[in-house]
Amino acid sequence: MIDSGIELVQRRVVVDDRTDIRFALHPGDRALVGSGDTVVPGTRVVERVRDPRLVDVPAPNVDADARPGDRWMRPTSADAGQMRRGPGPSAGELLFEAGGRWRLATGEHVEHIETPVAGVVRDVRAGIGVTLQAEGRILRGVEVLGDPTRGVLAGAGIEHGGEAVPGLFLRPGSLDVGLAGSILVVGSRIEAETLTRARAMGLRGVIVAGLAGKERRDFMASESRQRAALHRLPTFAVLVLDGAFRRPIASPIAAVLHALVGREVAIVTDPPGLVFNEPAIEFDPPAPDLVRVRGGEHAGREGHWVGLAGLRRFVGGTFLEAGWVHVGGPAPVAIALADLERFG
Amino acid sequence: MSDPRAFLAFDLGTATSSVALIARVGHRWRLIGGLSMPAGVELDAIVALVLERATTADPPLARLIGSDVDDAVTSLPRLIARSAQPRRLAVVAASERALAPLSDAARRSGWLVTAASPERVDPLGVTTSLLDPAVDAVLVGAGEPPGADERRSLDEVASLVAAAAVRRPELTIVLAGAMSERLERFEAAGEQRQGELLLAPAATSGDPVGRPLRELLEDLRAPADDSRRAIARAAAALADAIDRRVEIVDIGFNGGLRATASPGIGGARGSANASFVADACLVPPDVDDAAVDRVLAWSTVPIDRHRLRDRLRELRLAPWADAAGVGARLRLAAARAALAVLVEATPAQSAEAAPDLIVATGGAWAVAPGPAVALAVADVVRRPAALGIALDHARLLAPFGSIPDGTERRQLMGDVVDDMLAPLASVIIPGGVRAGHAAGRMTVHAGSGTTDLELVPGSLELVDLPPGEVGTAELRFRDTVRLGGRGRHFAVDVAGGLGGLLLDLRDVPLRLPDRLDRRRELLESWQDSLWVTRDR
Repeated sequence: MIDSGIELVQRRVVVDDRTDIRFALHPGDRALVGSGDTVVPGTRVVERVRDPRLVDVPAPNVDADARPGDRWMRPTSADAGQMRRGPGPSAGELLFEAGGRWRLATGEHVEHIETPVAGVVRDVRAGIGVTLQAEGRILRGVEVLGDPTRGVLAGAGIEHGGEAVPGLFLRPGSLDVGLAGSILVVGSRIEAETLTRARAMGLRGVIVAGLAGKERRDFMASESRQRAALHRLPTFAVLVLDGAFRRPIASPIAAVLHALVGREVAIVTDPPGLVFNEPAIEFDPPAPDLVRVRGGEHAGREGHWVGLAGLRRFVGGTFLEAGWVHVGGPAPVAIALADLERFG
Repeated sequence: MSDPRAFLAFDLGTATSSVALIARVGHRWRLIGGLSMPAGVELDAIVALVLERATTADPPLARLIGSDVDDAVTSLPRLIARSAQPRRLAVVAASERALAPLSDAARRSGWLVTAASPERVDPLGVTTSLLDPAVDAVLVGAGEPPGADERRSLDEVASLVAAAAVRRPELTIVLAGAMSERLERFEAAGEQRQGELLLAPAATSGDPVGRPLRELLEDLRAPADDSRRAIARAAAALADAIDRRVEIVDIGFNGGLRATASPGIGGARGSANASFVADACLVPPDVDDAAVDRVLAWSTVPIDRHRLRDRLRELRLAPWADAAGVGARLRLAAARAALAVLVEATPAQSAEAAPDLIVATGGAWAVAPGPAVALAVADVVRRPAALGIALDHARLLAPFGSIPDGTERRQLMGDVVDDMLAPLASVIIPGGVRAGHAAGRMTVHAGSGTTDLELVPGSLELVDLPPGEVGTAELRFRDTVRLGGRGRHFAVDVAGGLGGLLLDLRDVPLRLPDRLDRRRELLESWQDSLWVTRDR
């Protein structure tokens, strides 16, 4: 029998059953799928213009019933008027008409975004986004850096029977090309240099509990340089599960990741999470009295709920509602309820 | 339900859920107990704990008010105020000059704002921002009449926004000022529209300037029972109930509210003014360099920028976590920074007469020691006056403000006011004190005795005056200072609080050293005097 006070601890959902994922479209981008289409992993869904620019075309060169968001193709007939004379754009997205001219968004170089998951396209809106009802389940994180990607899950930080290794720290030298094509679970934290090396070695993604702001900034700068290159590497994403601090992956989440090692999974950016379509795998629910310390002195530790401790004075003269938790010592310790999370 | 003897008041914020038990005891309503928890916690579990504690503390009272019955958790009437989700408004104008007052009105009515004009953003960028799914509404405006700098681009701006409206029929479009004359473009833009198409006054119209537009935008942002709008109504009721000028400063997860109210005089209705500023949130969704700098400027914790940014990001992700120790001090630094943003965004309210009472409310103050909250408020809301600072500890202002009937609201507030406001401190802040040697003397006459102090410019003196005690402070300055009015001799009534009486002879506004280490030492020395329970 679990003490009833555990309802006062916030619940964190480990795995969600269904989810809609979104691919952003910007003016000039083109959706390559239509509403109702069924897609499989690897299907191109978006043609993205890398450096969109604005150009004008005379209104007579555009269909009279054209609407904002419509695709415009350069007329090929002899009636194209002044369009024949210039090297203007061959295609673009109509934005708005003003002063007898249409403004359109276009660009020279395009790249294709592939869906990393299977599903059914629910909605396509030019300039706004493509929404896909994904097949499978999602393990949510707090942030994804990079592009949607897919790979085989490999675990560096979830050995030892599914237990996350506290404080595991993956060095750049730990990576080798044998991991190419995989999404690697690295545990509590990672450096930007390791992320950059992982991408260069052909890894498709990294899953980490915490990513410090400095590493995040350095990786984003590297990613930005990579995006500017003409020959891009395969897609790469970093899924951050908890936040900015170093802490081990929660054991119920590590258990899910452990069960998925060797299987195809996908990292999606909106919402940030790991999508997998493995209906045969069932996860045991976490113990009902399992709690994890989210922040504060014992951050990252897990234990078992004992009961409410009432209003307690903590360091700094702050009074907080607390609960008794066994975190491994001989006696339970009082931890602020707001620092705890349980899983469901 | 007829004549209930007790009810539950809920303030459901984005990050914090507060529950309070109010009951009729004798012939008046009283606050029996309350609890604030993170927003993800099950509400019934919080209610059950509040009722259990009330029953344990006073079983006969619990029996009397019916809070000890088995189904009390679900059967007690509930008065609920709920914070609306933050919404984003894209503001577009033909020139930067025209954009400024529109953006200001939008920012002060609680919207997250994306502002653009063709002078600084190309039409592709403006279209991209209008098509962003995070944008809920568009305010497109022009002066009335439009200025010379606007006329050239007005048609293009109208066409651009109308085209975006075609692609996003769910968008609410607000046409302000002379842009209303281009209504037909938007009407022609789509018969399929689901979003509203509204005409609004120019951003520079009304008295005070911009108020009509702000009121319209507030109506558009949130329903009438939104917590922030309810607190603004509660400010007027509180001013009437205690017959004092009141200022409420609310710092929450998604914005800050500053509400000022004066009681009615001679049967006339009182006045009230409120601004809700989304940028004055505890931690912004994107912790940029400016946000880090703002918090660093108030931090008493030696911490580098990278670590501070990480801590702020964690605070945004889990606003209740790590609330003790260093976390408590950083949270209070973030609260000060947010309060400074709020004060800076509301100069018109700073120009009003100083309040008699400042009430702090909102999740930012929920777990900080009371005296430290008083100092944080006094650090930022600096008015040359003698005023009281109190804390809405049970977060009752929002639910009380959500009562639709004004008379009922005032009566309830009048009954509960002594329970709902925890007195933090009386603060005396003279303005215009010359730096140098002793500026004069202060004598405090209270029930517990008389205290005599020298007035040292730049100092922060603490006089022990416990809650419930009242007294008189006599101040004799060598030179003329401002304290409400100008003069050299003053006698002000003071009331006790958790932090006692603060004699604040620091600059108005507060001037701090530029060097971060010196600034931190100074802030820490002031804070030490009030955060007396802090472990070293």
